[in-house]
Amino acid sequence: MLAYIGRRALLALFTVWAISVLSFAIIQLPPGDYVTSYIAQMASSGSVVTEEEAQNLRIQYGLGQPIYVQYLKWMNLIVRGNFGMSMEWRRPVAEVIGERLWLTVVVSVAALILTWVLALPIGIYSAVRQYSPGDYAATFVGFIGLAVPNFLLALVLLYLGFVLFNAHIGGLFSPELQDAPWSTARVVDLLKHLPVPALILGLAGTAQQVRIMRANLLDELRKPYVVTARSKGLSELRVLLKYPVRLALNPFASTIGYTLPYIVSGSIIVSLVLGLPTVGPLLLKALIAQDMFLAGTIVLLLGLMTVIGTLISDIVLVWIDPRIRLEET
Amino acid sequence: MTTRWSRLMAVLVAVGMLSGVIAVGALAQSESKTSLIGKLEGPEVVTDAGKIPKAFKEAPQLAELVKAGKLPPVAERIGQDPLVIKPLHSIGKYGGTWRSGFTGPADFWNGFRCCSGPDHLMFWDYTGDKAMPNIAKGLEMQDGGRAWLVHLRRGMKWSDGKPFTADDFVFWFEDIYRNKDLVPTPSAQLAINGKQGSIEKVDTHTVRFKFPEPYFMLPDVLAGATDLAGQGFAYRGMGGFAPAHYLKQFHPKYVGQAELDKKVKDAKFDSWVRMFLAKNDWALNPDLPVVSPWKTATPINTPTWTLERNPYSVFVDTAGNQLPYIDKVVLTLAENLEVLNLRAIAGEYDYQQRHIDLGKLPVLIENQQKGGYKVHLDPGDYGGDMIIKFNLSYDADPEIAKWFNTADFRRALSLGIDRDQINETFWLGTGTPGSVVPADTNKYNPGPQYRKMWSTLDLKKANEILDKIGLAKKDAQGYRLRADGKGRLRIEIMTLGGQFVQYTQISEMIREQWKKIGIDLQVQEVERSLALKRTAANEQQLGAWNNDGSEHLFTFPLHVFPFELAAVATSGPLYVKWFHSAGAQGKEPEPRMKELMEKWKKAFGVPEKERIQLGKDIWKIAAEEVYIIGVVGVGPAANGVRIVKTNMGNIPARQYNSPDGKTPAISRPATFYYK
Repeated sequence: MLAYIGRRALLALFTVWAISVLSFAIIQLPPGDYVTSYIAQMASSGSVVTEEEAQNLRIQYGLGQPIYVQYLKWMNLIVRGNFGMSMEWRRPVAEVIGERLWLTVVVSVAALILTWVLALPIGIYSAVRQYSPGDYAATFVGFIGLAVPNFLLALVLLYLGFVLFNAHIGGLFSPELQDAPWSTARVVDLLKHLPVPALILGLAGTAQQVRIMRANLLDELRKPYVVTARSKGLSELRVLLKYPVRLALNPFASTIGYTLPYIVSGSIIVSLVLGLPTVGPLLLKALIAQDMFLAGTIVLLLGLMTVIGTLISDIVLVWIDPRIRLEET
Repeated sequence: MTTRWSRLMAVLVAVGMLSGVIAVGALAQSESKTSLIGKLEGPEVVTDAGKIPKAFKEAPQLAELVKAGKLPPVAERIGQDPLVIKPLHSIGKYGGTWRSGFTGPADFWNGFRCCSGPDHLMFWDYTGDKAMPNIAKGLEMQDGGRAWLVHLRRGMKWSDGKPFTADDFVFWFEDIYRNKDLVPTPSAQLAINGKQGSIEKVDTHTVRFKFPEPYFMLPDVLAGATDLAGQGFAYRGMGGFAPAHYLKQFHPKYVGQAELDKKVKDAKFDSWVRMFLAKNDWALNPDLPVVSPWKTATPINTPTWTLERNPYSVFVDTAGNQLPYIDKVVLTLAENLEVLNLRAIAGEYDYQQRHIDLGKLPVLIENQQKGGYKVHLDPGDYGGDMIIKFNLSYDADPEIAKWFNTADFRRALSLGIDRDQINETFWLGTGTPGSVVPADTNKYNPGPQYRKMWSTLDLKKANEILDKIGLAKKDAQGYRLRADGKGRLRIEIMTLGGQFVQYTQISEMIREQWKKIGIDLQVQEVERSLALKRTAANEQQLGAWNNDGSEHLFTFPLHVFPFELAAVATSGPLYVKWFHSAGAQGKEPEPRMKELMEKWKKAFGVPEKERIQLGKDIWKIAAEEVYIIGVVGVGPAANGVRIVKTNMGNIPARQYNSPDGKTPAISRPATFYYK
């Protein structure tokens, strides 16, 4: 077991390195570089940036050097715990990402928890009361959530929130507590603002999980051991929860791995629309401005999360399902 | 039988009601639209020595600090020559926080426009026409225009209490502007006919700008948003003046290189140049001394950009109250334009002009009561919120190059556009269809007949012209064929998405309209960097953009003729090179464009009356030759939709909307107050 984890961890490390190379390369793909984007911005507000000034900037930012040199410079910094300087924000990358990363995790985890809290019971109900009106209703709503684009849903809910409830538009905090240091009041404020983003982010995933849960459970419910358990006199609920549901949870465990980064990356547009101070909008802006170190670091972190998530889900799977044992045993 | 009839009746009634609702809605909108554009008004700078107040008052918090001995008394802080502004409606009250929104660290114009004063030496009056003394007490012309004396205000101080003197100008000129590391290319605005000028100290409160030839336009250049316009462009090493006492500690001439290197490393910058420019950044460095009414307290690269009152502000009102009235300006980050607009609709901003989308006008109007605000429209003065530039130096396809360089071809294409349809759809009727010339009230406007010149919808004439010049043959779908026999004449327009104006969608509409004159237009939306790359490489055929700033065509020539390579839409990159290298590089433009360029260059060195005539001549050529097609202009699409809370005072009904006027700076936000 330990050897298994060890091997997987080593592979994970290699994967993360490969991601860093790829992400750095991809960010360089659009024509030009940060300076080009900077010139574009200047041009659209009427300022002139001359050729010499542009060249000067390139030298100062180290953009004149070949890509692998820039990459090595970045790796050099990372190994020392410094993620480089963001050209657009003119602050160290670590500072810019800093608080946002925690909030991203909070929002994503909230969305994940909400997804499961909604999907599991609904999925179970759908399977047990198959083809009932409740089943159809749940499926219908689920598919609407799946079909409507997140950001549209976000905009509509924002607008409705304002029109019906006079709610504050977007963001995760009320304006007064925006920059305040952490306190109970701020945490409570965060919790108050969390439901809408978590709901929107989770809705699409919910439909998917409901269907999966329903399908798996239906399979399990037809198996002989359920009949055995029922005939042995166990209550319906206990029959349901103790055996088939546990088995049907199998695919959930294996999807933890990619669900978290899926929510984080899927939330980029929703975060943008809702004005959430998470990593998503930051990444988008960094990519458009070709702010190399910032974009590269975020993509790297997302990759790292995916790899760690997959590692965790592999371990969890091995742990909860005795049928999946290692080749050696 | 009856059920079918009743169903039909139901449908008809529903449709009838629906259209009725739509009609009422539309009627309601069109009624209120005309009342949204008020009369142009604004505060005035008082220059009459007799009217300057002798006693001053200050904000309560500052009075407290004076009592506690932490600040010198207000008269000492302002000096003997205050900058007196007569508020638009009434003397205001101190207090309040102005809430607004910005979109990120690239949005620094937002702060300059609202809160920098502005800190130009001269500045426009509220009509945008006349340059008035501002930070400078006055300008005096000498030596036939070859020298200008700038009189500073006695006793004026930087925001940290140190005196603002001629030394700050000399420091800027000698140690920043002339330092090749900080400023690699000198500015064309501190030069006349290509020859650089200089700045020298006369005495503590007088500076001289000297030029080798007469530079009559200097007052306008000092008034506009140019390289000599205060600390707005300090982050690029420009400005005309800089706080010498503060910046010397970051400059290798005054601090040893070794010590400077250590400072650079500690502050985690890449080089002393980057550190110096970051320290000289009005929006980024809270420690930078400024002369604007508010100064940055929390910088622009955080989620909340806050500006607080400057206790040494030299601005006062006619009753002697030190301005600004409003204590604090708080700009909150809204990374997405939709969120910003929604927040405006919800009434979360007190005064917001930047980034408000004209397309949301109906919702904005609808929520005025609930949000506690009023909507104002400030149409710009420039002729084109949407223009189409022909790249006249395009050479990848000789046939297309030939047609672009044929004036009648350009004119015919202009006649084929239904501007009224576009105006209704995208500007909700608030724009003015027409050519590229600026508004009729602009001093360079050549005459009302030039607005409609070649800029009406005349399909018959357009088709006639195209037939006559050699494009008479058409294919089966009705599109004209190329004269060289290589098939259909297909031209391409490059647009940018996500801007204040919906260039792509408008181009799509023009594509449909041009089918009627047999022209096949391909619309290609690209990302900004790609657009820049393509235009600089002379690959663009047609480009869509706006010509804002062109109402001040001498300080903003970018959209009058090809002036610079870094543009998202260009009239000829090869001509840019020719213009700037005095003929050594690039390609020579055709005669009439050359004439236009000559007139532009000449205007800087001639007295105002002659300059105005040259300006009119330039626009005449532009309107006649149609190098650039004007579609809809003099409208509020860019920065022209204003949301103001009803409890704010001294708000103009309409203000001059221009980047040169740094709108709303032209309405002197330091005089805004909460009732």
